Amino acid sequence: MATPMVTRDGYKNRIELLQGTLDMLILQTLSWGPEHGYGVGQAIRSGSGEVLQVETGSLYPALHRLEKQGWIRSEWRASEHNQRAKYYQLTAAGKRQLASEQSRWNQLSAAIASLMNPSESEGQA
Amino acid sequence: MSKWLWFRRGYRDRELDEEIRAHLAMATRDRIERGEDPRAAEAAARREFGNRTLVAETTREMWGWSSLERLWRDVCYALRGLRRSPGFTAVTLLLLALGIGANTAIFSLVNTLMLRRLPVEHPEQFVEPLHRFQDEPHFNTFSWRQYQYFLAHNHVFSALTGMSGINYDFGSFFHVRDRGPEAERVNGTCVTGNFFPMLGVKPALGRLFGPEDDRLSAPVPVAVVSWSYWKDRFNLDHAIVGKRIVVDGFPVTIAGVAARGFRGLILDNPQDMWLPEAMLPSLVPGGSLEKNGNVMLVGRLKPGVGIGQARAEMAVLFRQAVAEQPAGREKMFLSAMQFEMESASAGLSVARDQFARPLILLMGLVALLLLLACANVAGMLAARAAARQRELALRISLGADRWRLARQALTESLLLSGAGTLLGVGVAYLGVIALLRIVASGRDRLQIHPVPDAHVLLFTAGLALLTGLLFGIWPVLHACGTAPAAALREAGKGGDTRFRRHFGKALVTAQVALSVGLLSVASMFILHLSSIYAGLGFERDHVLLATLDPSRTGYSRAQLARPYQEILERLRALPQVRSATLSGTTPVLGAGANRDATVEGYQDKPGELRYLAENWVAPKYFETFGTPLLRGRDFTLQDEGGPRVAIVNQAMVRHYFGDGDPLGKHVKFDGDPKPYEIVGVVGDAKYIDPRETPGRIIYFNAFQEGRLFSRFSMRTRGAPAAVAGDFRRIATGVLKNAAVERITTLEDQVDANLVPERLIVTLSGLFGALGALLAAIGTYGLLAYSVARRSNEIGIRMALGATRRGIARMVLGESLGTTCTGLVIGAPLAYWARRAAAGLVPDLPVKGAAAIVFSAIMMILVALLAAYIPARRATRVDPMEALRYE
Repeated sequence: MATPMVTRDGYKNRIELLQGTLDMLILQTLSWGPEHGYGVGQAIRSGSGEVLQVETGSLYPALHRLEKQGWIRSEWRASEHNQRAKYYQLTAAGKRQLASEQSRWNQLSAAIASLMNPSESEGQA
Repeated sequence: MSKWLWFRRGYRDRELDEEIRAHLAMATRDRIERGEDPRAAEAAARREFGNRTLVAETTREMWGWSSLERLWRDVCYALRGLRRSPGFTAVTLLLLALGIGANTAIFSLVNTLMLRRLPVEHPEQFVEPLHRFQDEPHFNTFSWRQYQYFLAHNHVFSALTGMSGINYDFGSFFHVRDRGPEAERVNGTCVTGNFFPMLGVKPALGRLFGPEDDRLSAPVPVAVVSWSYWKDRFNLDHAIVGKRIVVDGFPVTIAGVAARGFRGLILDNPQDMWLPEAMLPSLVPGGSLEKNGNVMLVGRLKPGVGIGQARAEMAVLFRQAVAEQPAGREKMFLSAMQFEMESASAGLSVARDQFARPLILLMGLVALLLLLACANVAGMLAARAAARQRELALRISLGADRWRLARQALTESLLLSGAGTLLGVGVAYLGVIALLRIVASGRDRLQIHPVPDAHVLLFTAGLALLTGLLFGIWPVLHACGTAPAAALREAGKGGDTRFRRHFGKALVTAQVALSVGLLSVASMFILHLSSIYAGLGFERDHVLLATLDPSRTGYSRAQLARPYQEILERLRALPQVRSATLSGTTPVLGAGANRDATVEGYQDKPGELRYLAENWVAPKYFETFGTPLLRGRDFTLQDEGGPRVAIVNQAMVRHYFGDGDPLGKHVKFDGDPKPYEIVGVVGDAKYIDPRETPGRIIYFNAFQEGRLFSRFSMRTRGAPAAVAGDFRRIATGVLKNAAVERITTLEDQVDANLVPERLIVTLSGLFGALGALLAAIGTYGLLAYSVARRSNEIGIRMALGATRRGIARMVLGESLGTTCTGLVIGAPLAYWARRAAAGLVPDLPVKGAAAIVFSAIMMILVALLAAYIPARRATRVDPMEALRYE
């Protein structure tokens, strides 16, 4: 599963939460443009400042699952180094899904933040 | 389908592989670009990637199985299972094919004759008036006078239309001439002007005639043809409208083509041409509607009028019309008639009148057979399921989904029923052809076309599904109800054996009982048929019958003597022809005319029927038909110009002379001063019905008085049909414009009269054999199962000194026990079935138990035969092995 190094010793519901999160991260990555599986992994890693490292054993099942759900679609193309690679790109449904996951994520992170730092959120309120 | 599915799966596998390879390549390149050593970079990339197989595996799981793929896997699984037991599969398919085929065949006939609606507007409003003498078949033929009376007085029909034919050969037809001299027979009738408007049939081209064309004073000479006639003869050429043709010597113009699919109202005789009724007198020389305008009637009920109300009113009108009739023979006949009315929504059909009841009975019978076949297949499947109980239990305890197992079992059943149905459709196709051949024998004009329409397809598909579910439900219940722990402990011994054994025994008993019933009916009818054939009074094989139509030759009847003699001489000169003759009528075609007669030396009793049936024949008539000449001599050509001579049959001799000598006695007919001298006596031959007691018949020499009829008969050496071409050549060679009307064989002519008997023999024989096969399979299955289960017991018995013979006797005894129970139940059933079947044909003597005893012996033989293999297997049980197994 997606294993952000910071939460290696997580809770029971970690998997569900993180699975959804990984999907969202992939969709988010692809919103910049078509990318192959390796590129998606690299982008998440570098975009998170090397904090989030996605294992291939999680990445590829997620990509194929998202494709089956119709949120992304794939095609074979040559990469910048003339390497044939399978590029994934967002579909219209994928874009809608990303938007809804984003707003859910915002709610969730705000809720968690207010729980973790009660003084700050009270101050804000 | 499999190819496509596997292709897709393989393609996706290769694609995933390439995706992973690309990933590794790009990771390696990145590392090299960062300055790592190429070999170290590759190894690091691999390490970072992790377990390649595991990644591919988890990714592949995401694809899931589509329901189609899952179905296909079930189908493959079922196919593998069926291929592993080819004997079971073959027997099951055979049973299902025969069962479903028989049902489909009978249903398609039922559908054609009874269910399919006519392609007209609101056919459900159609009724046909009928009348009949007591205990005789009803018929729909009314005189022109009666029709006019009904038209003027009824309040129940919105329209009442009439149809009449001018030429009859089973159905009615026209002689149609186009350009050439050859007249062609086209099925058709004259119909009243309200025919097309009442039916609501629309023209496909041109116009259809109506009441304005059917004016009695000045009929418009038009014809309407069917769409199929337009297609076959005119290749859908639009120039057909306005084309002039000659119909029975009268020029008419084709006005239009009826809507596609419309072939008239008579199912047995699809029609291609219709003319206005008012033209009928023009087509028949010297004809008039009063004399020739006998009509078949079909009425359309007014909205809101029921058939009962219509029947009541029309019965009254029928009586009134008879009462207004001038006194005479016709009035006497009509007074004895009973009036009836039936629905005509499916069209008119003589075949339906004849076969409706037998068909319904048959439908019930074949449904019962299919049920038995299903029960048998269910039994076999259950035995298979019992054998696989351990496997099922193991799979369930390993976490298999019960519903999934049930679905697998169901897939197997439906696969079997589907394949059985496909085979069954083939069986049905052949069956319908065979049935129609029997029904239509000797009547080339009978044309019933059981086209497989939506009804039949739906019926068959429903049947397939139903049978699949019916015998498939058992293994499904089995799969769902298996308790893993118990089944595993039982180690392959089925838990439901007692129920199964009782069920199996009941099944075999029922099959034996049913088969005995059917077989005894079949054998009774075989005996009956052979006694009919033996008592015909003529030899029915190797005789060709041909009828000439000399009306266009320009010769009068008497003038035909020379050319007809020449034709006969030329025919006799053919090497394949033993003898040739001509006559007014031929056996079982019908009696000739009747005339009241006075016989020398005989005093009529008061009130006695004085008529004799007469037949005008040429010399060698009796030789040709194989009717024995018992005394005196045959006719010769030298009789011409001499005193009138006659030959009589035995029935006449018995009646008038007893043991006295008829030769030289004279017979005088009322209204004919010159008497006939009896010169010969022949055996009794049947003329009206093969089952009748022959009446008194007198034969005259056709050449002596120039009373020449045009029915030629030839006794041949080889197959009669081989002479047909020679006859055609010789007849048209001698008489240029003569048309050959009808060629058939005496055998066909006889068989056409025995259709119900032959149908019952064929069907009850076939279904009886099928029932016996079912019983044999059931017996075999039951015993094989019981021997397998009792192998320990048998082993112990043998160890304790039982002989092989004793063991075999035990197994055979078990089989005989079940069979005898079936026979005890079957005997009354057979008795009842014979009575029921006897009700369907006239004059059937139902007596003697020979048929039942014969079929009982047959069934016992079948049971012993089925028990042979299990019995042999039982005697081969090795006591040591059986005991060690325990």
